Amino acid sequence: MLTLDHVVKRFGGVVATNDVSLTFPNESLSAIIGPNGAGKTTLFNLITGHLVPTSGSIRFEGDEIAGMKPAAIVRKGIGRAFQVASIFGSLTVEQSLAVAVTAHERRAFSLGGAFRNHTIRRRTEELVDLLQLNHVAQRISGEISHGDQKLLDVGLALALRPKLLLLDEPAAGMGPDERWQMMDTVKRLWKSENMTLIFIEHDIDLVFQTAEMIHVLRYGSVLASGTAEHIRGHPEVIEAYLGTEVTHEETEVAL
Amino acid sequence: MFNFDALAGCLSASSCLVTQLSTGVIIGMLLFLVASGVTLIFGVLHVVNFAHGAFYMIGAYSAYTGYSLTGSYYLAIAFGTLVAGIIGILFERLAISKVYKENLLMQLLVCYAFVLIADDLVKIIWGAEYLALGIPDEFRVPPYRFAGGVIPPLYIFLVCVSLAVAILCLLLIQYSRFGKIIRAAAHNATMVSVLGIRVPVYFAALFGLGCALAGMAGALAAPVRSLTPGMGVSILIDSFVVTVIGGMGSIPGALLAALILGMTRSFGSLGFPLFVDGMMFMMMVAILVFRPQGLLGERPAR
Amino acid sequence: MKSYRMTAPGHPLRTLLIAGAGLAVLLILGLVFPSPWLRDTMTSLFASGLLAMSLHLLVGYSGLVSFGHAAYFALGGYVFGMTLQAPGYVETFGAWSLPSAMLLAMFGTGGAAFLVGLVCARLSEIYFAFLTLAFQMLFLSLIQGFVGYTGGDQGLTGGIPRPAFLGINVTQSWDRYAFCATVFVFGVLVIRLITESSFGFTLRMLRDNEARVKFLGINTYLTKVICFTLAGTLASLGGVILAIFTSAAYPEWASWTKSGEAIFMIMLGGVNTFLGPLAGALAMRIIDDVTLLYTTHTELAKGIVILFVVLVLKRGILDFALDRRRSRADRRANRDRAAAHEKERADVDS
Repeated sequence: MLTLDHVVKRFGGVVATNDVSLTFPNESLSAIIGPNGAGKTTLFNLITGHLVPTSGSIRFEGDEIAGMKPAAIVRKGIGRAFQVASIFGSLTVEQSLAVAVTAHERRAFSLGGAFRNHTIRRRTEELVDLLQLNHVAQRISGEISHGDQKLLDVGLALALRPKLLLLDEPAAGMGPDERWQMMDTVKRLWKSENMTLIFIEHDIDLVFQTAEMIHVLRYGSVLASGTAEHIRGHPEVIEAYLGTEVTHEETEVAL
Repeated sequence: MFNFDALAGCLSASSCLVTQLSTGVIIGMLLFLVASGVTLIFGVLHVVNFAHGAFYMIGAYSAYTGYSLTGSYYLAIAFGTLVAGIIGILFERLAISKVYKENLLMQLLVCYAFVLIADDLVKIIWGAEYLALGIPDEFRVPPYRFAGGVIPPLYIFLVCVSLAVAILCLLLIQYSRFGKIIRAAAHNATMVSVLGIRVPVYFAALFGLGCALAGMAGALAAPVRSLTPGMGVSILIDSFVVTVIGGMGSIPGALLAALILGMTRSFGSLGFPLFVDGMMFMMMVAILVFRPQGLLGERPAR
Repeated sequence: MKSYRMTAPGHPLRTLLIAGAGLAVLLILGLVFPSPWLRDTMTSLFASGLLAMSLHLLVGYSGLVSFGHAAYFALGGYVFGMTLQAPGYVETFGAWSLPSAMLLAMFGTGGAAFLVGLVCARLSEIYFAFLTLAFQMLFLSLIQGFVGYTGGDQGLTGGIPRPAFLGINVTQSWDRYAFCATVFVFGVLVIRLITESSFGFTLRMLRDNEARVKFLGINTYLTKVICFTLAGTLASLGGVILAIFTSAAYPEWASWTKSGEAIFMIMLGGVNTFLGPLAGALAMRIIDDVTLLYTTHTELAKGIVILFVVLVLKRGILDFALDRRRSRADRRANRDRAAAHEKERADVDS
């Protein structure tokens, strides 16, 4: 569904993305990991149109999207959730989801009463159930917990029924139990919405348990790609994370 | 309405030309002094001082009192500047500093409140009638004649002082230690305060400086303008137009814009007396639409 | 887990009924206390109330601070007055003169607001505010400049012809009061319908997080232009009320102090409530009138009150009241929960 072909992004003398070629098949669940500064968020920004590649192509469902404006890319069906939840602080959770659905239904300029439409209401309720935000649905979104806000952020992206969803560190800033809950939710959403999902994460355990395919980035280029087993034993990946050559025993302990 | 004959006639007669040009220059220079204060405060503290016109008024009235008490115009100017500066520092400490982090609305309201209070206090202390300072004794000398036109020495004095003071401030901000600290603190106050520097003191001083500039302009203008409690309003609007046209945060821009506006007012009062204001605002609209960062400014508007 | 159900939407009929009740209250007030002072005060409050409420659409609901809103208030009054004063107008339209002049005022002002909005909406916060102010000052200088049409500094003098229509004669005290009250309630009702519509929520989204709104595929520029136009049109209704009341139109209606007062009314009453601006308009009027009992220095009193509200309360009156009610409810809920725990523990122990 999404193909990056020899994508390069230069900022002056700095090469943030170094000849990256990746393929994400339809309805796959993939993760992008790598040390800080590896260029993960840059890659997301390139896909969503906030950055234009210096060279290379990005194809989504066969169409070239590199260079398109972000709004157009959203319309093509690519959604995104952010590292720091980007929500509407003064609206309640259910209102926030409802306005997103209203926007998707192209009724954002309607002067008719808000949220009276049957389709909008059904879809909003569906989203609340999906995200398991029932307990906070009527609270003001600026006042709910950080984890719930991140879920809401994902919900706002889901409201547009994206074919491809990009999640930037969905578990960032959460405690140990919350992180696993979040990844369970991510898996659940992926299955029920039939979409392709790519997420960035730092916590390797979470990634190994959740993703089908893992891509490791380092200094802007792809270090390795494969399943959890493949990546787990990959010597260069281990070196990138631990910095030195290691024996088999140390590998066991570290991972 | 439009009196192009008078305008054309003036442009061809050197005496009229000289008179109008000199008028335009002093209007411009005084405006520049006031606008420098606005731009200084905005450029560094990112606060739009909507009360700036009130400090102009305070400077003018204080100078009036200073002159009545001492008989010296120079002392009156110093007095007016000082009073405006001190009240500026107090205003910053008591009110403005509390709304730095707040949105535009709160800042606007705090300044609006100050203007209301200042206007009424001036009415209480000096009365609501028009006051006139008149040409001070030091400048009761014959005017210079140039190309058939008349230039009062007071004008030359005003221009020189305004220019000198504004350039001094520019140098202060660019090159002095005070200026460097202030500019650093404007970017990242926390870091600067961690270095042991008392940032609030610097901010107060800068705000006071901006207000002192307005006060000085008021004091300088006192001989050629009548004093009335509402005199802050029009200078405020004018100084904002200047700041926007010149570019927020740019002192050279303010100079250029102020001179353009001064000339517009001066020649406009001949050619289109009822539309001088309209002309000014059309220029402001044009700049905001086609070049929002102003003639010489750098801050983007989108 | 049980499937989630959204809170039921409000019924539009409910809003209409509340508006009707409000109008009834205003009319009854005017009948029970027929003093001209009360009716005159209320009428001028209707005008400033609409000015503040229409600005609230921009400031409170969309997060767009406009410094030049009074321009549309003034335009409404002037277009209304100039139309009726135009030679031959009243003769041609007879009984329809006044209503048609009102419609003309609304459309004319709406058109002007639309054009200004097209230009201003492209800019961000501070520059947007300045540009709206610049346009207002432009209108003001046009009003002062075209003395032949607008009466210049004196305003529209000579009175505005106000012929009777549909049995209503606004030169009469009761008719005028009832008509202005109806126009006022109508204006507020329209504003309410806008804020509670899908578009109203789009405005709230714009205020909270403009970047995300773009991500939802919504054209934020268009949103701002539409909001600006609606706000200007509704402000013109306020100007029409004032023109009917004073039988004139004055350039002061387009001064920046008028715009400043409107912003202050919103702030004083509360930015976060629907009726905040009305409360603010009323409060400001009270401050003025009470101060006048003791001294002429109403400006001083207003300034001190503003400082108090901004620096001490840090929010408007209605916001303050609502916050206190909410925190009292929270405290009560906490107390109940603690009491319930205590009881549980006592039950377990015994």
